[in-house]
Amino acid sequence: MPKWGMVIDLDKCTGCQACTTACSMENNTAPGESWQDVLYYHEGEYPSGQMKWLPRPCMQCENPSCVHVCPTRATYKDEAAGGIVFVDWNKCIGCKYCMIACPYGVRFYADEKPLIEPDVREVYPGTNKQLWSPPYQSPDEDWSRGIGIQPPGVVSKCTFCYHKVKNAPEGTIDLDEDNPDVKEYVPACVRTCAPKARYFGDLDDPNSQVNQLIGDKHGVRLKDHTGNRPQVYYLGAGTGIPSFTPPDEGEES
Amino acid sequence: MNNNIIQGKAGTGLLLLSGLVLLVSLVFALINLGTEGHAAFNTSSVLPWGQPIATYLYFALASSGLGLLASLPLVFGFKQYYPVAKRCIFLSFIILISGMMVLALELGNVFRMLWVIPLNLQIQSAMFWMGIFYTLDLLFLLWKFQKLDKGEWDSKASKQVGIASFIGVLLASGTVALIFGMMSMRPFWFDGLLPVYFYFTGIASGMAALVFFVYLAYGFQRDRMHPALQSLMAGALPKLFAALIGGTLIFIVARMITGLYSNNPEINLVWTDYLFASPTYHLSFWGGLVLPLLLMLSPQLRLRVSVQLAASVLVFLGLFAERYYFVVGGQVIPLFKGTWYPDLIAYTPSLTEWALTIMGCALVFVLYILGEKYLNLSAMPNYLENEHPERAAAAGAS
Repeated sequence: MPKWGMVIDLDKCTGCQACTTACSMENNTAPGESWQDVLYYHEGEYPSGQMKWLPRPCMQCENPSCVHVCPTRATYKDEAAGGIVFVDWNKCIGCKYCMIACPYGVRFYADEKPLIEPDVREVYPGTNKQLWSPPYQSPDEDWSRGIGIQPPGVVSKCTFCYHKVKNAPEGTIDLDEDNPDVKEYVPACVRTCAPKARYFGDLDDPNSQVNQLIGDKHGVRLKDHTGNRPQVYYLGAGTGIPSFTPPDEGEES
Repeated sequence: MNNNIIQGKAGTGLLLLSGLVLLVSLVFALINLGTEGHAAFNTSSVLPWGQPIATYLYFALASSGLGLLASLPLVFGFKQYYPVAKRCIFLSFIILISGMMVLALELGNVFRMLWVIPLNLQIQSAMFWMGIFYTLDLLFLLWKFQKLDKGEWDSKASKQVGIASFIGVLLASGTVALIFGMMSMRPFWFDGLLPVYFYFTGIASGMAALVFFVYLAYGFQRDRMHPALQSLMAGALPKLFAALIGGTLIFIVARMITGLYSNNPEINLVWTDYLFASPTYHLSFWGGLVLPLLLMLSPQLRLRVSVQLAASVLVFLGLFAERYYFVVGGQVIPLFKGTWYPDLIAYTPSLTEWALTIMGCALVFVLYILGEKYLNLSAMPNYLENEHPERAAAAGAS
C-alpha cells in the first residue's frame, strides 16, 4: 500500500486559489468550509516587507493529534488507504475536540453561522440527512470516510480526494495530472493547479516524484515542532509561517 | 417548627419561579437549535468551544469541588464539617447533572455517544476518560448519598464508598484539566499542573455554592440553623473559604505573570490584548476574587452572614468568568489562518448560548429545592444532632 503524500512548490504557486475552488466543487463544501485554502501572510515592513502565501490542505499527519483526542475513534488514520486521516460521520458526536487539537486549523464544523449571505443551506435545504443538498453533487459518498456532504453536527476535513485516489491502478507511485493514464485519480487541487505547483505520490517509494523533490529541493514540513509529522511537504523560498501579530501592533512597531 | 424555609411556602414559590425559568430557557434553546442547528451559537470553526463548554466546565468543577469538600468529614475526619456533608454530596450530584445537560445540548450528536464511546474504547483520548470518570463520580455520589440518607455516617461501607467517591472526583476533574492541559498546540492552556489549578479553583467555586445554598435554606439567617451548623458557618468554614479564594488568586496570578513574561504571542497576546483589554475580565478579577478575599480576610467581617453571602455570590460570578476566559482565551489567537483572520478572533455568546447557561443554573435551583423539600439535606450524625438540645430548641423557637 502506498503512503500518499503531497509536495507544494511555493516558488511556483501564484496564490490563485484555483485549488480551493476545485476542492469545494469536487467535495461540495459550504462557503467557509475550506478543506483546501490558500493562506496569505505579510511579514516585515518597508523596504523589506514581504507578502507570502501558502496553500493549505489537511496535512494527513503521520502522528495526528486530532486522532489521539477523538473520544469515539470517529477520526482515524487509515494506513490501508495510504495513511489518510478520515472522519467517520457515523461515529462523530460533534464534540469538536479534534478541531482544538489540530495545529493546522484544517477541520470544519459547517453547522455554524454562514460565512456569506445568502446561506446556501437555506437556499438548498438538506434532505436525506444531509446538512444541505445542492442540485449538483459528486456521486461519490462514503460517510465512514467523511466523503460527500455531511449530516449536521459532525466535523469535516480534506480527504486527499480519496474517492478519486483509491481508483489508481495498483503500483502507481506518481499521481501526475500530465499522465493521461492516471489523471482521473489525481486529487482535485493537484489536477487543477495551473502553474503545476503541486505533486502527489507515494512517500514510501524512493523513486516517486514526491520523494525526489523533497530530497533535491529541501522539502520541509510546516510547524514541525508540534511532532505531528505531516505527509505534506513544502518547497521553495517563503516556506514557514510568521508568528501572529495583531494589525495595530504591526503598524506601531 | 421547621426552620428550613425551602421546605415551606417560600421554597414552593422559588421552585415555581426556577421551574419557569428552566422551562422558558430550555424551550427557547431547543427551538433555536431545532430551527437553526448549531448556527444558533456564535462559535465557529475557528473558535469551536464557547460559553456552553465554559458553563459545563464551571459546573463540572464546582461539582468536583463540592465532592472534595464532602470528603473533609467523610474521608479525612474533619467532623465539624458533618453538618454540610449531605448537602455537599447532593449539590455535587445535581450540579454535575446540570452541567451534563448543558454539554448535551452543545454536542453535535449527543445520543450517539451512548454506543460509540463504549463500542470504540478510544483509551488515548482524555475526553474518553472524562466520560468514564464523571459517570463513576455520579454513581459514587449517588451511592454515598444513599448511605448518608440511611444514616450510615461512620460505617465501614460508608467510609469505603466515601474514599471511592473522593478518588473518583480527583480523577474526573483531573482528567477534565488534562483535556486542556495536554494541548501543546494551544500554549495558553498547556500546563502539566492544570489538574491542581482545577482542583483548587473547583473547591473555591464549590465552597461559594455551598455557602449560598446553606444560607438560602435558612432564609439567610444563621440563628435558625442547628447549633452545630451555626458553629461551622461562624468558625472553620469562613476561614477555609478565605484560604481557598487566596489560593485561587495565587494560581491565577502565577499564570498571569508567566503569560505576560512569555515572548510567545500565543500566550502573551491572550493576556495583553484579550484578557487585560476586557473590562469584564478586570471586573471579574478585582470584583470577583480580590474583593471577596479582602472581605473574608477580616476576622470580624467574615463572620457576618451578609459578607459571607456577598463573597459567595462574587466568587461564584468571578470564577464563572474565569472559566469563560480560560476556555475562550485558549482559542482567540487564530491558528494558522493568515490574513483571513488578521486580528484576535471575536466571540460573544449568542442568546441561545446564554439560554443554555441560564437553563443550567435554573436546573440547579429546581433540583436543589426538590432535594431540600424531600431529602432532609440538613441531616447530620445523631450525636451532633443531640449535642446541644437546648440550643437547638432555642434556635428553633427564634
